Amino acid sequence: MPLASTIRLQVESALARKIPSALTPAPRLIRPQIPTGLAELDELSGGGLPLGALTELVGAECTGRTSVALSFLAQVTEANKVCAWVDSANAFDPASAAAIGVDLDRLLWIRCADVAEASTKTTKAVTLPQKYFIPGSPKKGLHGGGFGPHPRTEIRGLSEAMAGLFTGETPLPKPVEPSATKRNRLASGESIPSIPFTRRKRRARHYDAIERALRTTDLLLQTGGFSAIVLDLAGIAPQYVARIELSTWHRYRVAAEKTQACILLLTQYPCAKSGSELQLRLLEAEPILEAHTVFSGMRPRIEIVRQRFLQAASNVVSMRKPPQAARTASWQSRTPWAGAQ
Amino acid sequence: MNSGELYACLLVREFPAQALLRLRPELREKPCVILDGEPPAETVCSLNTRARLLGVQRGMTKVEVDTFGSITILPRSRSVEAAAKTALLECAGAHSPRVELQEEENVFLCCLDITGTEALFGPPEVLAKTLRQRVALLGLSAQVAVSGNFHASILLAKGLPARTAIVVVPSGAESMALAPLSLSVLAISEAHAETLSRWGIRTLGMLAALPRTDLIARLGQDGKRLQQMATGTMPHLFQPIDVPFVLEETAELDYPLDNLESLLFGVAVMLEQLIVRAAMRVYALAAVTVELHLDGGGTHCRTVSPRVPTNDRHLWLKLLHLDLEAHPAGAPISKVCLHAEPGVTSKVQLGLFSPQLPESGRLDVTLARIAALVGDDNVGRAVLDDTHTSPGFHMEPFAVPSGSSTTKVSRTAYGCLRRVCPPERLSITLDCGRPSGFFFRGHRYTVRHAYGPWLAGGEWWNERIWGQEQWDLIAQGDDETTLYGCVHQDFVQKSWLLVGLYD
Repeated sequence: MPLASTIRLQVESALARKIPSALTPAPRLIRPQIPTGLAELDELSGGGLPLGALTELVGAECTGRTSVALSFLAQVTEANKVCAWVDSANAFDPASAAAIGVDLDRLLWIRCADVAEASTKTTKAVTLPQKYFIPGSPKKGLHGGGFGPHPRTEIRGLSEAMAGLFTGETPLPKPVEPSATKRNRLASGESIPSIPFTRRKRRARHYDAIERALRTTDLLLQTGGFSAIVLDLAGIAPQYVARIELSTWHRYRVAAEKTQACILLLTQYPCAKSGSELQLRLLEAEPILEAHTVFSGMRPRIEIVRQRFLQAASNVVSMRKPPQAARTASWQSRTPWAGAQ
Repeated sequence: MNSGELYACLLVREFPAQALLRLRPELREKPCVILDGEPPAETVCSLNTRARLLGVQRGMTKVEVDTFGSITILPRSRSVEAAAKTALLECAGAHSPRVELQEEENVFLCCLDITGTEALFGPPEVLAKTLRQRVALLGLSAQVAVSGNFHASILLAKGLPARTAIVVVPSGAESMALAPLSLSVLAISEAHAETLSRWGIRTLGMLAALPRTDLIARLGQDGKRLQQMATGTMPHLFQPIDVPFVLEETAELDYPLDNLESLLFGVAVMLEQLIVRAAMRVYALAAVTVELHLDGGGTHCRTVSPRVPTNDRHLWLKLLHLDLEAHPAGAPISKVCLHAEPGVTSKVQLGLFSPQLPESGRLDVTLARIAALVGDDNVGRAVLDDTHTSPGFHMEPFAVPSGSSTTKVSRTAYGCLRRVCPPERLSITLDCGRPSGFFFRGHRYTVRHAYGPWLAGGEWWNERIWGQEQWDLIAQGDDETTLYGCVHQDFVQKSWLLVGLYD
């Protein structure tokens, strides 16, 4: 009777061409971490955000995602490293970043939304349509929202996923017959002024800004040398972010591992799935009501939803359930003018 | 004659043809002739060796050249010749600061005063060889003659057979070296040439052997000058020129081009020349300006400057490609001028513990690619302006800073604003002049706390007047969400705008 290890070796060598090291589990990775500068969050995550991996910060608007990201960048730039901020909605505010302590000279900022029209004060055209920022409301159907004949044929969350696909106004079909005024003009022999041909600028598609942001991140990862890349999709509604292919996040994860870059993804919806090594969710923040005249800030709350390769404190498996670590943290995010507590 | 003097004469034969074929290496192996003059009375002014072997001669008309067949005919281009001349002078200037240019038709001729350069460049043979090799790097074939007399070196260069590239005559042996040369190397008037030929004088040696007094009695002072030149004893007052250092290349296209790929094929050769010339002086290219002369008469000018001066040809080509792709000329191109600014070669100090930074060359290409994707103004680093107006910053090109960061990280303030770009107009409800509720993105919000107003304004003295009051609002939505917003009331446009969200 051969030993188990011999059998394993035989099986592995037989399958080596198809599945390399089939029966050997992948070695656990313990990544170095960069502190975020927020003591509570660093303590919660065991040292900060992992280097060479994708970290996801999920939360609704006004929950404190940007302040976490900027605080992290301030720590990175302080170590004379170079960072990039890929901004899908041109929401980055340099003044706030400078107040937190980010060295703007070491931060490459890429604005992916079209700001050519937005920069002029007179133009009222919104580059990204407003509905882009509004999460679609699920349908109020009889059985789960899908209007199926029976609840078992319904798929959970289908209506939420489909919401937003049909929010655009359907253009009414144009009449084939010439309009009454035109017909009258033709009948009376009146000449119709010719409409000068003007090339219209293509309307920005919903996905354009996201696509630009993703391609830009790809290019930055290929270049290498950026210690932190923040992909800011925080202003984009979940139904648009959810359409990003999962392979994109996998690609980023592999690239980040190779270049030892830390990718920070800001979203409203957890879209990276298994591509992210650390997923943090920001809960609704509470206001700090200290001063009556100035806005003092807020108290964000954060919880760890997912953390891969967490290093166990000890290798001994306890018979009892070990004490569980805290999964949430909170801190004060004070405005620069409010001063210290 | 001062025995310490030493001159090197640099001669480029068939200069119009060589100057044109310099930037077109694909034509060098084919018979080519250069036509000069007003059409239809154009004649051959210069030709390459392959055309000469076919039997083409200088002075032939276009019709006569056409009878040979398979000969490439190119029009003469003075601008290309001028660019080649500048490159040659600059190359000569790298070996001696004293260079005198001799203007002659169809050849490039300049003389270098190389007295006392042995310590730098070695013996004259080595210098001549180096000089010729450097000229060969420019795509030209030259001959070099070194002698102790200015005129003797020129005559020796002119009289060199085509296969001999370098001749070095030791001091005092000029007359012996000049003796076998034909009289045609001397610039003799027709009358004197006829007289000398009647006397049976065919070489410089024969002319030198004539009795001086009798020669002067018959030919005058010209006779004395000719004999001095033939013996290599003619004195000369050296008149050095200011050697230019202009990195410029020009190419005229045979027919207007509108294909960028084909254009870059030619630009690559020109770029290589510029890099070679800059590298000769231990420089790198800091900026390259491409001037495209369009078919309709216009000019399209683009300047590319990477963050760090570089001599990487592929990097330059990629940057030019991306720039021209992002800013197309819009019309077929008939002529290309490349102008480069030299910069110091980049020095990078590597360290074991220095942080990982992007490689400058790759970063330039990446930034150019991103700029093509999102626009030039949307990539870079933000620089804060000293103003209270919105947006309060401007963009500058991104470059990796070399020093250490001086920004102090805040230990208390983490609250920050996310801009709403462009600001969204709000319909707001006021209660005693303070905001009490508003609609935003399809939801109704009730204001719980309103901080303000903070007034700001300026430029009331001109048309760009602005004035606003700022409110910081904590509002509760009908979907039970809390919104921390920064709202401006614009006094000029009389509207309420949500400019940012505290996040």
